[in-house]
Order: sequence, then C-alpha cells, then structure tokens
Amino acid sequence: MTVAVGLHGVTKRFGDVAAVDSVDLEVADGEFFSLLGPSGCGKTTTLRMIAGLEFPTEGSIRIFGEEVALAPPNKRPVNTVFQSYALFPHMTVAENVGFGLAMCKVPDTELRRRVAEAIELVRLGGMEHRRPTQLSGGQQQRVALARALVNRPKVLLLDEPLGALDLKLRQAMQVELKDIQREVGITFVYVTHDQEEALTMSDRIGVMNEGRLLQVGTAEDIYERPANRFVADFIGETNFLEGVIVAEGHVEIGSSHRVRAQTNAPVGTAVTLMLRPEKIQIHRLEEVVDGRNRLEGTVQHRLYFGDSLFYQIELATGDMIDVRVENVPSLPRWDAGQRIAVSFHHDAADALTE
Amino acid sequence: MTTTEERPAPAAEPEFERRAERAKAVRGFLQALPSYAYLVFFFAIPLLIVFVFSFASRSRTGKPVLSDWNLDSYAKLLQPVVAEIAARSLWLALLNTVLCLAIGYPFAYWLATRRSARYRAVLLVLVLIPFWSNFLVRTYAWRVLLGEHGFVTELGRALGLWDKLLFTQPAVFIGLLYGYLPFMVLPLYAALERMDWSLVEAARDLYASGWTAFRKVTLPLSRPGVIAGSILVFIPSLGAYVTPDILGGAKTTLLGNYIVRQFTAARNWPFGAALSFVVLVAMLIATIIYFRTDARTI
Repeated sequence: MTVAVGLHGVTKRFGDVAAVDSVDLEVADGEFFSLLGPSGCGKTTTLRMIAGLEFPTEGSIRIFGEEVALAPPNKRPVNTVFQSYALFPHMTVAENVGFGLAMCKVPDTELRRRVAEAIELVRLGGMEHRRPTQLSGGQQQRVALARALVNRPKVLLLDEPLGALDLKLRQAMQVELKDIQREVGITFVYVTHDQEEALTMSDRIGVMNEGRLLQVGTAEDIYERPANRFVADFIGETNFLEGVIVAEGHVEIGSSHRVRAQTNAPVGTAVTLMLRPEKIQIHRLEEVVDGRNRLEGTVQHRLYFGDSLFYQIELATGDMIDVRVENVPSLPRWDAGQRIAVSFHHDAADALTE
Repeated sequence: MTTTEERPAPAAEPEFERRAERAKAVRGFLQALPSYAYLVFFFAIPLLIVFVFSFASRSRTGKPVLSDWNLDSYAKLLQPVVAEIAARSLWLALLNTVLCLAIGYPFAYWLATRRSARYRAVLLVLVLIPFWSNFLVRTYAWRVLLGEHGFVTELGRALGLWDKLLFTQPAVFIGLLYGYLPFMVLPLYAALERMDWSLVEAARDLYASGWTAFRKVTLPLSRPGVIAGSILVFIPSLGAYVTPDILGGAKTTLLGNYIVRQFTAARNWPFGAALSFVVLVAMLIATIIYFRTDARTI
C-alpha cells in the first residue's frame, strides 16, 4: 500500500488548548478517507494542517513520502474544497477554475482545455462566464470541486463540502462525489460531522473527538465494533446498559438479570453493554425465546417514523432502552403500558470496558 | 386556459392597495423631508447664489452689482495664474491621495487582520482621536512642529534633509497628509474588515504565493475602499483652505486660498463665484469618470 498522507504524532495547540492531540494516521493512495466527529473535535484543523493552512505544533506530515509539515500551502501537491466554497466573487466560473493552473503558468491552450474538461466533469457546461453569485449553492459547490480537481492534486481535501446544501441535493452530491473520486482516482480526505455521509461514501473512516483520533476503520468496523463508548454513541443510535462480568461471556445488569455478551473481560470487570436499537426484538410475554437473551419490560412510548416504529421500553432492570422495528406488513403493534419481553442475540451485545 | 369567463372583481382590494401604496409614498417623503430641506437651504440655494453672482459685474469700489450680466469672470479664468494655481492644487491633491493610499493601505490591512475585536476597536479609536480636537487647532500645532525651532524641522536639519519647512510647499503637503490620512484609513478598514479571508486561503491553496494572493484577491476585493478613500482624500485636498493658509506661504497659494482671496482682499465676488463653480463642475465630472471606469473594471 502506498501511503498518500501520513500523519505521525501531529499535535496542534492554540494557546493551552490542544485542538489536535498526537494524531497518527495513514491514508492509502486512491482511498476515500473521512474524518468524522462532532464540531470542535479537531477534524478541520487536521485537514487544514494537511493543506498547509495551519502548521502543526509538533509532529510530521508526509504527502507521498515527502515531509511537508512546515511547507506553505502553495508548495504542497494538494487542493482543498472549502466549506464555504471560497469562490472568488470577482472572477467568472472559468477564471475561478483556471486560477490554480494560471498560478502554475500552464500554457494558455492547455489551460483552456483542462478548464473546459473540469467544468464538463462537474456538469457545469455553459456556465463558464457566470459569476459565482449567479449560481445556486449546488452549482457553486461544483465549481469549488472543479477548481480543486483541475490541478490534478495528489490528494484532494474536502472540508464539509456538502454542509450548506439541502438534504436532497446533499444525497445526490454524495453519489456524484463518490463517482468522481472513482473516475479521477485521486485520494480524497473528507471532513464531515454527518455520520451518514461518512458511512455511505468512505472506504475508511477516522472518528475524532477532543483532538484525538479514536478509531480508524471501515464503516462496518466502526458501526459494528466501536472501540469505545464515544464512537458507539456518535455513530448511529445505541442503548447502553451498565453491568458487571459475572462469568466468562456473561454480564449481570440490574441486580439479578444475566445476559450473554461479546466480551473477553475477566470476571468482576464493570462493563457497558452496547446494544443497537434495530438488533432487539419485541415479543409477547408468554412467547418462548430460544437461544437469545431475554429481558422483560414495559412499553413507555411508541413513535411512528413511516419506515420504522420506535419503542421506548423500561426494562425490569430499571434501564430505558430504544427499540427500532422495521415497518413490515402485519407487524404487531405494542401499546404504551403494555408488558412485553425483548430479546437479542449475544453477538449483538458488545461489552465495552471503557 | 380557454375560459375567458369574467370573474367578479373584488372591488375593495385594489382600492385598499392603492391607498396603502400612496400612504407609503407619503411616509417616505416625510421621512426624507428634513434631508431635502437641509440640502435645498444649505446646498442648492447657496450654489444658485454663487452661480448667479458669477455673471454679475462690479462697481468701482468692488461691490458686486446684480445687473449688467456678463461672462467676464469666466474669461478671466483663462489667465495663466489660474492655470498655475490649479495645476499646483491638482498635483498636491494627487500626490496626497497616492501617499495616503500608500501609508493608509498597509495600516488598514494590519488593523483589519488583528484577531481580537477589542484590540481592533482600540486601534480604530486611536485613528479617530485627532478628530476630538479642532482641525484649526491641530493645524496650528503643526506650525509649532514645523517652525524654525520645531521638532520636525530640527530633525530634518540634523539629517540634512531640509533647512526650513514652515511656509513652504512641503509644509502644506505634510499638513494635508496628516489631515486626510484618517479619511483614507477608515473606508479601507471597512472594506478589509468585511473581507472573507478564506478567499486568500483558497488562493494560497491554489498555488499563489502570499504576494500574488494579495494582488489577485485581496486588492481587487478591497477596491471599493480604495475608491471611497481616494475620493474622500482627493476632493477636500483639492479645495483645501485652512492647511495652505496656515502652513503655506505666498508662493504656495492653492485653489481654496485663491477663491477666498477673491471674496476678501481682491473684492472680486463674480470672479470668485465663477472659479468656485467651475472647480465644482470639474470635480463632479472627474468623480463620475472615476466611478464609471471602475464599474467597468470590476
């Protein structure tokens, strides 16, 4: 694997605050890599350090093996799609797109050909002579993308590029971005706080919080096997049940309820049982549940979401859990106040020791 | 849409709309009335008086006579002395504008790029502090600084730059630069403060050096500030009266002083009026051309 971007021990301090705290990361050539985290987690600062718009306090940043940590942005083989697009308002679309090439003194005929290609790539043909202010948000977004891609950077950095678009357009652009990335084969480093965006588009995701990189993995790794409670909580919806290991693979929750779970932790360890709402089933009390963990409880609320139903259930252990049930034909409905049983497979219950 | 059926017109509504429309117009007029009144009484009418007097004649004692209308005053504008004074004023005003820009731009840029809003506010107040005292008083203060034993004169003498400053053209120039620099800094600051600095980052990201990013992005985008500042400095510099009167000598007469002299010592009101009027029209035309050229380049 060729490493496109390598961060080693990268720290950025603003005064006493470490915005990015000793991050180690390797992004492979051609990969669509996302940095995901809540606002203020350091993902944008990390991206800006790769771009050269901020310099790390400590650590090394390599782009295809070349140390660039302290190089100015114009000396790096990367380009950025800014969150606000940062299109030059006093230039036309074509002038915006051609800016980087003009700076690199690319001959005029080649410049014009490449600008035309880039504009075609983002399907903005015919808009060349418009000003950015005359374009819609989605079109501006494409100009920003073309302006960066036209330079054929070794790595393309994207800072929440879809954040300002409405939902439908954002979804369409997600697909389009992914297609473009496949077509040009450039490494993308994509910053977002939108977990759905990260899960659907990325080859791999790095989850950040408070300046630290908590987990790096595929969408499935991160969703199914979160490294800690923060990741589990941030990605998707999760129920957390506090418990103690009482035997190998067995957790006691509440005072007397024992369930089987995924864990190697020794007996006596305090753990948090992580349980996704869609992996829980609801049964009538008298129904026999084979080979699965079974707990009793009372329905508190039922929320109707169209494609699914959401139940809030108070377990006999005193814990409140959410259960999501897909809205399939002839689905039984459970009413508030009704006593029921819930069940889940032990594979679905991850015991986190953190 | 093939039906041409007549719908019963809702009679009350258009009438109501018209009344609301009219009320809005009346309200707008009333709001603007004080400004209109001010402009008419203190700008339009005096200007009209100046215009009328420029065609008047003079009695033997120099009193303006509002009869025997003639164009003599305008003919007198063609005298070489007028051209000389106009050229000097123009040169000084242009030089002052260029220098105010050269000094004011870096300062405004530095001011606008300070992180702390509080610090920016303090610096801005410092720019405005001179306005807390009277312009005349401040100009007299310069008379001390530029005088025979003034600090600035002594300093220049020690460095071998000049021997005498007060009542020379450089003294007038220093006074103008001092007086009008804030008028350049403030609009420039306003323009630069509004600047979206992520555009400069984008330019740097697209392989522009710091200087090129400034030339291609910051400078064009701060252009409205440059224009406003230039006009605010150039026009009053051209008509400056107090500064050349106090700091300049007999050989540094500028348009402003020359016009005042026509109304005082020379007792030639018609000529003073004609000169005022022509300068006004010339400045108006120059400003329009300046704006037009700029509108085209942006």
